[in-house]
Amino acid sequence: MRGGTCTLILLTVLSSGASQSSAQQSSSSPARRNFVACPIVRDTKTQPCWLAEYEGELYYLGQQGGVADDFYPPQLGHLALVEGAVGQGRVCGGIPLQPVKVSVLRELTPACRAMLPAEDGIEAPPPIPAPRGPAPSWVKVDGPGDVTLYFDFDNDFFSLHVTVALTDLAKHVAQLEESRVEVTGFRAATRLTNGQVMTERDDMGSIRARKVADTLTGLGVPARVITVNAPTEAQPADGVNDPRNRRVEIRVR
Amino acid sequence: MRVNRPTFLLALAIAGFLAVLRLEAQTDPALRPQTSWIAAGSRQTLPREMVFENALGRLGVLNVSGPIDTTGHPFFQPIGSNQRACVTCHQPANAMSVSVESIRERWRATQGRDPIFAAIDGSNNPSLPQGEASSHSLLLNRGLFRVAMPWPPPGVTPEFTIEVVRDPTGVNRDPIYGLRSPAPAVSVFRRPRIVANLKYVTSPDGLFNVKLGVLMDKDPDTGLPSSMNIMADARAMSLSVQAQGAYRDHQGGKGPLTRAQLEGILAFENQIYTAQVWDARGGSLVEPNGPAALGPANVARHSVHVLNGPKTPGFHFFDMWLTPNTTPDPQADVRASVARGNDIFLNRRFWVKDVAHINSIGLANPAKRTCAVCHNAQTSGMDLAPGWVDLGTTNFPTWTESAVWSESPELPVFKLTCRPDAPPHPFLGREIYTSDPGRALVTGHCADIGAITMGQFRGLAARAPYFSNGSAKDLRELVDYYDRRFDMRLSSQEKQDLINFLGVL
Repeated sequence: MRGGTCTLILLTVLSSGASQSSAQQSSSSPARRNFVACPIVRDTKTQPCWLAEYEGELYYLGQQGGVADDFYPPQLGHLALVEGAVGQGRVCGGIPLQPVKVSVLRELTPACRAMLPAEDGIEAPPPIPAPRGPAPSWVKVDGPGDVTLYFDFDNDFFSLHVTVALTDLAKHVAQLEESRVEVTGFRAATRLTNGQVMTERDDMGSIRARKVADTLTGLGVPARVITVNAPTEAQPADGVNDPRNRRVEIRVR
Repeated sequence: MRVNRPTFLLALAIAGFLAVLRLEAQTDPALRPQTSWIAAGSRQTLPREMVFENALGRLGVLNVSGPIDTTGHPFFQPIGSNQRACVTCHQPANAMSVSVESIRERWRATQGRDPIFAAIDGSNNPSLPQGEASSHSLLLNRGLFRVAMPWPPPGVTPEFTIEVVRDPTGVNRDPIYGLRSPAPAVSVFRRPRIVANLKYVTSPDGLFNVKLGVLMDKDPDTGLPSSMNIMADARAMSLSVQAQGAYRDHQGGKGPLTRAQLEGILAFENQIYTAQVWDARGGSLVEPNGPAALGPANVARHSVHVLNGPKTPGFHFFDMWLTPNTTPDPQADVRASVARGNDIFLNRRFWVKDVAHINSIGLANPAKRTCAVCHNAQTSGMDLAPGWVDLGTTNFPTWTESAVWSESPELPVFKLTCRPDAPPHPFLGREIYTSDPGRALVTGHCADIGAITMGQFRGLAARAPYFSNGSAKDLRELVDYYDRRFDMRLSSQEKQDLINFLGVL
């Protein structure tokens, strides 16, 4: 369930302030914006656009699509964790973040209800075709027995792409005479642009790993060939690669 | 002549009454709703094709396997302990559900002694005096049967606590049947689903529930993924599980059905199709070259598990009914209205918002969608994926009930409080008032509170009222609920078009 297993957000203000964070980012390219905000939906003549405001600037996150798409839009009524690289120009009235990862935070935030009407001159971009292979926000396949799954913050939801990857991996295992399947689940922290660090709940890595293992078992992989690991320490935050740290690695030996 | 005011008002009232009598006398008897009740234990042969009158026209029922002899048939015989049979609540004349109109007629015909009014679930509370109509008001007013769900669900640690806030029937605080009884149960009240066209209901979607990203539950008999679309709360993973449960809970059956009984029930259920065949104003719905969605023969022949799309619209095509009239033609006008209603169903976009398991699964909240995006299964109007969603009919503040403090409440109200460490309901948070927790009574998940599985769109004209809680007494009220719930801003004509469209399915 999307948004269903995250827990209370742990906001830890680091000794380093926003200025230090900005200095760190200036040395890397492209610039990033990582922040928590209410999402905003803008109506258009075609598909609604999803935006979020940070420090007085509007950023474009993506547009309404389907579950086969890479981008899963946020939800009004909830804050969203936005982690993205700043792109060029404007899309649907906002500076595009691409790539971007948007996590719906679990608790209700009734104030997040902003809907903008359609305006002449502000249009959604043409729909982006759903990826033919693994969606990069959700899955990385380095081989039939070497798969990494990515997750929203504090969340164990399997997107459509994750279910496809797990099904393929189970088929691969079924073709092997003997195999070991190592499942390693990670929890992680994420550094916001203002210097704050958010850390996932203590057991998030093991919840993800256990869920993957149980699902593989349900797909026919014998439980006896699966080993499950989950480091207790959160993967450290760097403000750039944090979305890739919320992951489960599956290695078939 | 001077007429004083009371006399004038009396004369007006008498004139109005006589006008109503005249109108009724002029109504075509063939178009009046009639019932054709099949009692448990009935011995007759049901023909391959049956037609029953209803308020909007005529319903067709098709036994694909040929005539059905009800003598000794486990679907039609009272094989439990309370003189009921499956047919008691699944009447062919009512599209294999049962309408409030039929229920009321049974009350009148039997003075409340028909087995459908059995105390265990055909009354508001088995502890009430059973001879009084008031003890069966939910069945007589809304067509609702009591469903007692064990609490907590077997094998489940619920994410929420549940307390009874309002208990107009008394059953949820009853010392024998209530939440604090020796066999704790939560009693909710639901409409019976239609037992026909079931190939569409039982067709599995795949290995995964794509909405939740989890593996489908499996049919215990076959080991294959279930459709998870059987029953309002999807608690039965197969028709056989449903049949065994109904035998136990609704017929007072002792022990399981025998193999022969089960096979007989399933064989009957899997061959019966139903849909409207005649519209009182639009005429025949099953003419050659007419809409391919209409009539039970078409429902029987179409493929299952076809996703709504431009080339495979949910209810096929109604283009042939859109031909402009050159001369006044009331029948053509109604048909054109049906076609427009189909077009609204397919293409009218509106903001779908705060619907758990629609807006919470990566499709955005709100999402600008059409009716057919959620009701996406061609021919049935269900969801190809497991279709339980919290549309809002049972949960405050969008529920169909007036208010918690209503002066004449009918349904119970529960307060559900989610544990701090559990995921909350995605759009209602951690404290939820509900008249029916729906799927959450099976899973114990807060996210499932109020989630009810979508029903078929078929035979609607024959089986009012609508929604699982029987709150919409007719199609107008059903359409009005959606219009309010999603601020669709339908015009009067658009509402009528949708009503006409739904009425012919």
